[in-house]
Amino acid sequence: MDHLLTVESLTKVYARGEVLALDNMSFSVEKGEFLVLIGLSGSGKSTLLRCINRLIEPTAGTVTFDGIDVTQASPRELRRVRRRMAMIFQHFNLVRRSTVLTNVLSGKLGYMSPWASAAHKFPRADIDRAMANLERVGIPEQAYKRADELSGGQQQRVGIARALMQKPDMLMADEPVSALDPATSHSVMQYLEVMNQEDGVTVMASLHFLGLARRYGTRILALKDGQIVYEGLPSDIDEARFREIYGEEAEEVEVR
Amino acid sequence: MKDRYYAGFMRDMPAWMQNFRHLRKPLFAFLVDVLALVYTWTIVSFIYNTYAHGVASYTTLPWWLMLIVAVEGAALWENFGVSVGMKLLGIRVARADAGPPGVLSRLVRFLVWHVSGLPLIGYILTKEGLAWHDLASGLGVVSHEDVETRRLPWYRQSWSLAVTFVLLTTVIAAFLVTRVDWHALITNAGKTANIWKAFLSPDWSLLGDGFQLLLVTVFMAFMATLFGVIVAVPLSFLAARNLSQGVVGRTVYIIVRTIMSLTRSIEPIIWAIIFVVWVRVGAFPGVMALLVHSIADLTKLYSERLESIDPGPVEAIRATGGTKLQVVLYGIIPQIINPYLSFTLYRWDINVRMATIIGLVGGGGIGQRLMQYTRVWQWSQASMMMFLIMLVVWVMDYSSSKLRARLM
Amino acid sequence: MAKKPKKLRSARRDALLKGFDLLRPRVFAFVLDWAAWGYIAYAAMYLLNQYWYTWYVDWYGTLTLPTWGWPIVVLGTLELAILLHAFGHGIGMSLFGTRLVTTDIDYPTRRQRWIRFLWMHASLVMLPLTLLRTGTDGAAVHDRRSGTRMRAWKDVKDELPPRKPRAWIRTQSGIMTLVLIGVTFWLGWEITEIDLGMLFSRAGMSARIWKDLVNPDFVHFFQPDPTLGQSIVQGLIESIFIALLATLMGGIVAFPLSFLGARNIMGFSPVGWLVYAVMRAFFNVFRSIESILWAVVFAVWVGFGPFAGVLALTLHTIAALGKLFSEQVEGIDPGPLEAIASTGGRRVDVVLFGVIPQIVPSYLAFTLYRWDINIRMATVIALVGGGGIGRILFFYKNQVGFLSNAWNQVGAVIIAIVAVVWLLDYISGRVREKII
Repeated sequence: MDHLLTVESLTKVYARGEVLALDNMSFSVEKGEFLVLIGLSGSGKSTLLRCINRLIEPTAGTVTFDGIDVTQASPRELRRVRRRMAMIFQHFNLVRRSTVLTNVLSGKLGYMSPWASAAHKFPRADIDRAMANLERVGIPEQAYKRADELSGGQQQRVGIARALMQKPDMLMADEPVSALDPATSHSVMQYLEVMNQEDGVTVMASLHFLGLARRYGTRILALKDGQIVYEGLPSDIDEARFREIYGEEAEEVEVR
Repeated sequence: MKDRYYAGFMRDMPAWMQNFRHLRKPLFAFLVDVLALVYTWTIVSFIYNTYAHGVASYTTLPWWLMLIVAVEGAALWENFGVSVGMKLLGIRVARADAGPPGVLSRLVRFLVWHVSGLPLIGYILTKEGLAWHDLASGLGVVSHEDVETRRLPWYRQSWSLAVTFVLLTTVIAAFLVTRVDWHALITNAGKTANIWKAFLSPDWSLLGDGFQLLLVTVFMAFMATLFGVIVAVPLSFLAARNLSQGVVGRTVYIIVRTIMSLTRSIEPIIWAIIFVVWVRVGAFPGVMALLVHSIADLTKLYSERLESIDPGPVEAIRATGGTKLQVVLYGIIPQIINPYLSFTLYRWDINVRMATIIGLVGGGGIGQRLMQYTRVWQWSQASMMMFLIMLVVWVMDYSSSKLRARLM
Repeated sequence: MAKKPKKLRSARRDALLKGFDLLRPRVFAFVLDWAAWGYIAYAAMYLLNQYWYTWYVDWYGTLTLPTWGWPIVVLGTLELAILLHAFGHGIGMSLFGTRLVTTDIDYPTRRQRWIRFLWMHASLVMLPLTLLRTGTDGAAVHDRRSGTRMRAWKDVKDELPPRKPRAWIRTQSGIMTLVLIGVTFWLGWEITEIDLGMLFSRAGMSARIWKDLVNPDFVHFFQPDPTLGQSIVQGLIESIFIALLATLMGGIVAFPLSFLGARNIMGFSPVGWLVYAVMRAFFNVFRSIESILWAVVFAVWVGFGPFAGVLALTLHTIAALGKLFSEQVEGIDPGPLEAIASTGGRRVDVVLFGVIPQIVPSYLAFTLYRWDINIRMATVIALVGGGGIGRILFFYKNQVGFLSNAWNQVGAVIIAIVAVVWLLDYISGRVREKII
């Protein structure tokens, strides 16, 4: 019963009942897992991740993180919970005009007092750690460049460095490699794997390619139309299951 | 989590209320048509009266008769073609099986409409958006995309002909209302000859004087812009739809937007009149007048920019657990600094132009002196002032557009 | 329009051209910074006059310098400008995109900067020689002696070693900008004679005016005022039609003129360039003077009344729209034009089928934007003898003291103006959305 994250009956409804994004979902995540969410676009993967840290407010249901009820948390408690959950995004979501270093340091904002952050006064220790994180993801020389001067893969690595600053218990990745080419995708996924295996961070990532899911995930959750249609080991997804998840005309594509 | 849970998946409005949703478009189309017909009638009768009787009066019929004609005309138009209102709202009258409606069914619909559509009961006492006049004739109101019709050229569609006719008559009426008299323009050209001569030989002795006045004018614009920015920047956050959540936020948003909108509609010159009475004549009321208008305009520009920021970085900073203030400082502000600066420069440019003329009502600066010279017909002195105005506006224009290009 | 260069070896010629290219921004940057110091000096002098010699000086504050004072000011500001050019990244340098780096693209040391500063004096004394040298070599004597060069920022940006950038507020250009804004603020406060005290002390009197303004008296809204011969509604209609005609006629005339003012259509022959230049000058001149000022002239020409207003607004509209339109024409995508020309189309065909379809939406949008502005102007153009609602507004304002409900009627007029302008603004905003 030592789940890090428990989701119960999570439902999200849009447009006065006309769009059902999440339909009564329930599942749980163990500590140290690398959980992969797969499914077609519009199956609810992004909505699910955002409901977990309440970037989107769920319509019904409960989310429990390490014993804390996220759905009922006050704004202060919610911020504390968010500090422990890091998130990386499909379109990187960096502040384009700020430097790479500032973007990485903004991962620490949840820990700073409002006055210090208003004056951009980051403690020396944090700046050193930010540089160390940039070295870990392999781009220390880009520290003072503007974020939009970097390539896609580099920008996503900045996002990972920002997540590392939070020293999170859990990392959520919303289609982190959908905007990248195959080689860069593997490189980014490997950083996530390192975070999972060396730092003990629980990872929840939504991916498009089953090949990547099989290679990096320890457990797979497949979504379709807002519901979970498969929950299990990556190796157990055969042809029949695949068609169930993706629909009759789907064909598997290899990403080498 | 209060009451943001929406427990039902279904619309829970009673059936008869739902029918009114179907009523909205045909009703508005009808109103637009009636208004269009009333307007056309007014304009045409105005033109007729002016030419035939030499009297500028607006209509030849008592208003109730005009209204009846307009209502009947609108209903007739809507049933036998696509009227202006229907084109605007994207609806038309069509048969259920998508064939072309026949003349008889159109007539039936038109006649029955008087009983059911006009008093509106026909819409309540029926279902699925089909009123009595629809049921009786077998025709209904559908939106444009649902019906495939041949694309007739513009001169064969009734609404486009109507619009063209309205535009033409409006222009003719405009010529009459504004008493355009090309004849006077040409024959009086001789009278203005000495004005043009004086314009080409400005009085250079006023150069020093003029420059000092110019200085005052430019400073007027600067002060108004500076204070305007200081007030407008925080105000713009209150007036941005994506940043105002909750009941309090929405109310504040509506109030701020409305006040700014109304203030913008009043030209600085009108504000200057009020301020000149408040404090004495000079540059100070000019600054105040420009300030009020600048705040309103800048708030509008700023808040519109805020509404179109990239939500990605905002989301990211929220996800790391930042407070609202940190989200604003790190996610929003870096995105908007350059556009805000660009708008400020744009506004400064406009304020300089406005400052040159605000002197006309006593707002100080070069405009006031220009007004004095033109009142006494000292044209070469006036032209010196005009030349200086031209100079400063051109310099401001040029440098602000260069700066703005670099910012973007 | 490059001059034919002498036959030099290409590397040398590149260096030459590069030198000349760089000379202009360097000189401009320096002159700008020098002028900034001159402005600060003027402000200092003015404020000193204002505060210590107020009784001796007329309203604008003449520079009461003795004759030996001027050279000191000039040399002093020059010295400051040189100092700041050697030590730091000033406003001029940021605006014109230059930066001081060493010959092997690194950040200059303090010592190098001092040497540069001192040698710049020599360069300035021998100014023409310096300019020539810099133009040909890229390196004047102060450059060579200190081992530094002034290069374009975009050229050296990637080669400089990475370094933590300073916060803008602590750079020279940041500090200078803030100082200039502060000085201008102070100076402006004095020059425009802002007197908040007066604002508040007379607030009581103005409260009466405000009270009357927000209690509008619509007595002459529909009924014409016998003295004026017009009602508010009639005045509004007149203003709307003034703006309508001006926008329409202005747009129609500006449309063909804009092609004459577009570089990419006219720039193929000397005659074309001349026409372009004249057209552009015409646009600039008549744009700079607001329509109200033209109305003064037209009121004399055709007499007071709405016609004068129409003519004034039309003239200004032609110039403003002409400039906007021609900028649109200059910014079109040349692809479709190439395609049509390659099928054998004449210039007219290229214009009709290539240019016009690309620009129609923005033309309409600009015309609607101009319509907004013209409506606002039309409400006040009566001040100088145009027609419209402004006439009624100023009439009632002048009746203050004679009529007991003067301010109330002024309030009524203002509310009517606000309603109309706001409504038309809203409609044109919606229509513009639909077009774009």
